Amino acid sequence: MTQAFRIPGAGRVDHAKPVRFTFDGKTVEGREGDTVASALLANGIHLLGRSFKYHRPRGIVSAGSEEPNALVGTSRGPGRSEPNTRATMQEVWDGLTVESQNRWPGLDFDVGAINDRFGRFLPAGFYYKTFMWPRSFWDKVYEPFIRRAAGLGRSPTEPDPDHYASRHLHCDVLVVGSGPAGLAAALSAGRSGAQTVLVDEHAEMGGTLLSEPGVRIDGQGAWGWLDAALAELRGLPNVRLMTRTTAIGYYHQNMVGLCQKLTDHMAAPPEGAPRERLWRVRAGQVVLAQGAIEKPLVFDGNDRPGVMLAGAARTFLHRFGVKVGHRAVVVTSHDSAWHAAFDLARAGVAVAAVVDVRPEVSRVLTGQAEALGIEVLTGHTVTGTTGRLRVASVRVNPVRGGRVGAGRTIACDALLMCGGWTPSLHLFSHTKGSLAWDAGAGAFLPDRKTEECEIAGAGRGLWGIAAALDDGAKAGAAAAKAMGRVAGVGTFAVEADRTGDGVVVKELPTDRNAGLAKAFIDFQNDVTAKDIRLAVREGMRSIEHVKRYTTNGMATDQGKLSNINGLMIAADALGKEAPQVGLTTFRPPYTPTTFGALAGYHKGSHFEVTRRTPIDAWAEAQGAVFEPVALWRRAWYFPQFGEDMHAAVARECRAVRTQVGMFDASTLGKIEVVGPDAAAFLERMYTNPWARLQPGRCRYGLLLGEDGFIRDDGVIGRLADDKFHVTTTTGGAARVLNMMEDYLQTEWPDLDVWLTSTTEQWAVVALQGPNARTVLEPLVEGLDLSDAAFPHMAVAECTVAGFPARLFRVSFTGELGFEVNVPARHGLALWEAIWAAGQPHGITAYGTETMHILRAEKGFILVGQDTDGTVTPGDAGLDWAIGKQKKDFVGKRSLQRPDIVAKGRKQLVGLLTEDPKVVLEEGAQIVADPNQPLPMTMIGHVTSSYWSEAMGRSIAMALIEGGRDRMGEVLHIPMPGRTLRATVAAANFVDPDGLRLKV
Amino acid sequence: MTAQIHSFPPSPAITVETLPLAARFSLRLRPEHREEAKAALGLPLPDRIGRTATEGARRALCLGPDEWQIDAPEAEADAIRRALPRGLAHALVEVTDREVTFRLQGPAVLDLLAVGIARDVSRMEVGRGTRTVFDGVQAVLVREAEDRFTLAVWRSFSPHVEELLQRGAREIALGL
Repeated sequence: MTQAFRIPGAGRVDHAKPVRFTFDGKTVEGREGDTVASALLANGIHLLGRSFKYHRPRGIVSAGSEEPNALVGTSRGPGRSEPNTRATMQEVWDGLTVESQNRWPGLDFDVGAINDRFGRFLPAGFYYKTFMWPRSFWDKVYEPFIRRAAGLGRSPTEPDPDHYASRHLHCDVLVVGSGPAGLAAALSAGRSGAQTVLVDEHAEMGGTLLSEPGVRIDGQGAWGWLDAALAELRGLPNVRLMTRTTAIGYYHQNMVGLCQKLTDHMAAPPEGAPRERLWRVRAGQVVLAQGAIEKPLVFDGNDRPGVMLAGAARTFLHRFGVKVGHRAVVVTSHDSAWHAAFDLARAGVAVAAVVDVRPEVSRVLTGQAEALGIEVLTGHTVTGTTGRLRVASVRVNPVRGGRVGAGRTIACDALLMCGGWTPSLHLFSHTKGSLAWDAGAGAFLPDRKTEECEIAGAGRGLWGIAAALDDGAKAGAAAAKAMGRVAGVGTFAVEADRTGDGVVVKELPTDRNAGLAKAFIDFQNDVTAKDIRLAVREGMRSIEHVKRYTTNGMATDQGKLSNINGLMIAADALGKEAPQVGLTTFRPPYTPTTFGALAGYHKGSHFEVTRRTPIDAWAEAQGAVFEPVALWRRAWYFPQFGEDMHAAVARECRAVRTQVGMFDASTLGKIEVVGPDAAAFLERMYTNPWARLQPGRCRYGLLLGEDGFIRDDGVIGRLADDKFHVTTTTGGAARVLNMMEDYLQTEWPDLDVWLTSTTEQWAVVALQGPNARTVLEPLVEGLDLSDAAFPHMAVAECTVAGFPARLFRVSFTGELGFEVNVPARHGLALWEAIWAAGQPHGITAYGTETMHILRAEKGFILVGQDTDGTVTPGDAGLDWAIGKQKKDFVGKRSLQRPDIVAKGRKQLVGLLTEDPKVVLEEGAQIVADPNQPLPMTMIGHVTSSYWSEAMGRSIAMALIEGGRDRMGEVLHIPMPGRTLRATVAAANFVDPDGLRLKV
Repeated sequence: MTAQIHSFPPSPAITVETLPLAARFSLRLRPEHREEAKAALGLPLPDRIGRTATEGARRALCLGPDEWQIDAPEAEADAIRRALPRGLAHALVEVTDREVTFRLQGPAVLDLLAVGIARDVSRMEVGRGTRTVFDGVQAVLVREAEDRFTLAVWRSFSPHVEELLQRGAREIALGL
């Protein structure tokens, strides 16, 4: 395709480097440096999509990130498709695939456009009114319909294969926006030596200067000056420049989020390169130099392809060397559009007329227009446009004394509009800084600040390059000074600065029925002027209500073009001043941001930390199935020869009860409690007595909260008078250490005792079963393992398999058991040594499921499963663990509270189903009488339930009201379709007398 | 002994290696007993959090008002275990195996750290250390030289941290 609208040699694109991409399957040629929008315009393509509600043909309105219309689907290869890419921001590269959206079967002929014909039946609030009744239709009919109709573009269905990065950044001065104000600010701050970061969302720095090459600064052309300024900034080691980087949010204490696009502009990104990076910037000072956004004018047919902002036309001309049309008409309420007309005319575009709503315009402008052969129509309005897929003509009428005169039609293929400029307040609004209405400028301006920031240039209503440069230089210097730097304020000699002003208007007056006008305010959400007036008529008074009723400003562009026009019309309809109606609140992000950028590295294998033990690799090689426990992954069971879980677990259970099993207990929390007051400290923390526990012995420890409820438990070994090895539950390790530190630092700072987490210092192998000693004995040096010398609940330091070890004789299974602790680096070697030594004795690796069953067979509790934060030692049947002689321990007083000592508390008991094959569901509710009326009185619930291989039947533990007084009672567990019967029993099913430990 | 130096794909801008285990202890005692401990250990204990002191091959890093991390060669571990007298109220707990220590070096080292650490590491002086958080993981960071840091994390967290260091180093090597 020829680039009929390209001006050879003009603009900043590289004319020597053609780039080919596809738009709806057709190949389009652009130039390196083009955006999708500029490349399409160079080929005369204005029609880019269909609108959201009425499916009206839509084209390119702007040249920046505020673009509401030109949203396209882009694809960078399999899985790499993105809906709603702004054509004005996406750079072209060879092979890029671009698709128009919201049309079927095609862009030129779209069935959904029927909505446009019936537009009068789809007023604001249509959904609220239509989809109310009947209520039952909501889920099945209305909501799916609205969901299908809502939203532009199609979400990708494949997982995103791209990488996303994130980084933290600290600087003295962050400058947002690299137009003249931002550049001057960065120069002031950079020259002062302050750590300065300058960011811009475009591919190139320069902002307005890129579209104003005719301005001269310090004796150079704008682009020459820009090159010099950027070269100076690049040369400063304390300055960082970041393009394609959007400041998406301004958070507390000068935290600014930046989203940097790294590879979307590349035809062939390096393998594994991240697509985007989220920067979390903590800036001493922020200079907001975001500039201003041009406002559209509101008139019938202002949304036709070819109708665009005058400033955008100027940008396409100067930056990209593209004429937006061959024959243009300009309609404006601001001087700036006159200059656009002049530039286009000088570039060879036939500018038929400049229509200005103001009756009087500077003679300088009208004179220049006439000299260029442009018809001047001051005091005129625009009342309509024609053209099905592209504007073909515009109807203009004179306005005299408030009366709209007869219209005439002017042919054109581009209609350029300008309703003035809106300072970009989005980031400032994120800080909750207050705004003040400037009646003269017809705009809200930043007022009271809440953060350490400066606002410079057009962002605070200043107009003109000279004003922006001066203001930026001052803001940058002020920011640098606030950071303790000595900063000068640069001055700039600016020539050919095209300043000007304008008036603020609501919708343009018309001689036709305004109720039939399709005068759009919010292009993306298809909101018209009459929708706003309807909302006011229907009782909406606050701009917040008007917004939600009409959806004005609720599209992905957050009303960058529509908010002020909507406000002016709402204020007019309400008969109030604009500030009394107010502005809606802008919220982050400034522009749509990918979920990938927000997620950063945290996806796939890096989604969350997965902690693995030193023995994990062995379990994985053996085909273990894992389960997550806190952040750990633990071997759940070890299936062999195609076993299912039930078969594997039954085999593991049998092995432990009849031979010997080994278990990776490394995840158990461990805390080394050391110091002369170690025993005194544990006396106060745990319910059990510790003072008289001899070195070389262990004891089960029970930890309560101040409320008397069970928090944690574990075996504690006394290694020396002043040294204890405390174990905690896997999930409770950090919590218990924090709780202990809390008490130690705030309640008992006088105690000479210190706590060190040693969870990861030690790898732990548990060896359980009648053959445990036989397997272990040959590996142990320096310790007699006989029952007499090393009885149950003994601990000793020795050597196991050649490694220094802490050996515990403990049992969480009811069998003869040992737990071997070795420094973590030796964990795997120890495991393998025991595994090898155990082969003749039937050693079997078992996982957490088997561990859970074996302990349930003994009635040992699992904190967090059999307890839920409301269970006391008495409830759990652990009164024996309370040191009766102890004066105090954490939670002791609470155990005397009336409700804790009252009868009828839920107590942990065993439960045996009538049908031994039925395994109850954990969490199932229990009732005394299954025939009582609904809702039944629930007297408890099942906490643990398993198939017990040792018992040859199911077993369960349950918390039941007055449970220990109900031994032998039959209770009922209502389940879907049937009610199960079970008998209350003691929660100690296997070897209740503990004889198997005494071997 | 069992751990080896593991270098990531090399880049002139950044190298990351896993250090072999050396003896590491957590020493806790009341600040007024610092001098006594110094005499026994032959190693000064800095009185300000974040400061380090070295003597021979031993280094003490103050991590809290009553907390020091002592690093030493394996060969000196036994001597350190026995150095402090029983009469001195203290806790000396070996944590050598608890941790994996990475060494990060190169002109882009601050960029790599910024991948996971929220604080402004550039302000850290050489010879200072701090307990901090790397991508949600508790870590101890020590600046050994302008362009050289060590980052120690608990063992089970190290694959997570290593994966991110690799990703970050790759970004730096790509110049993106």
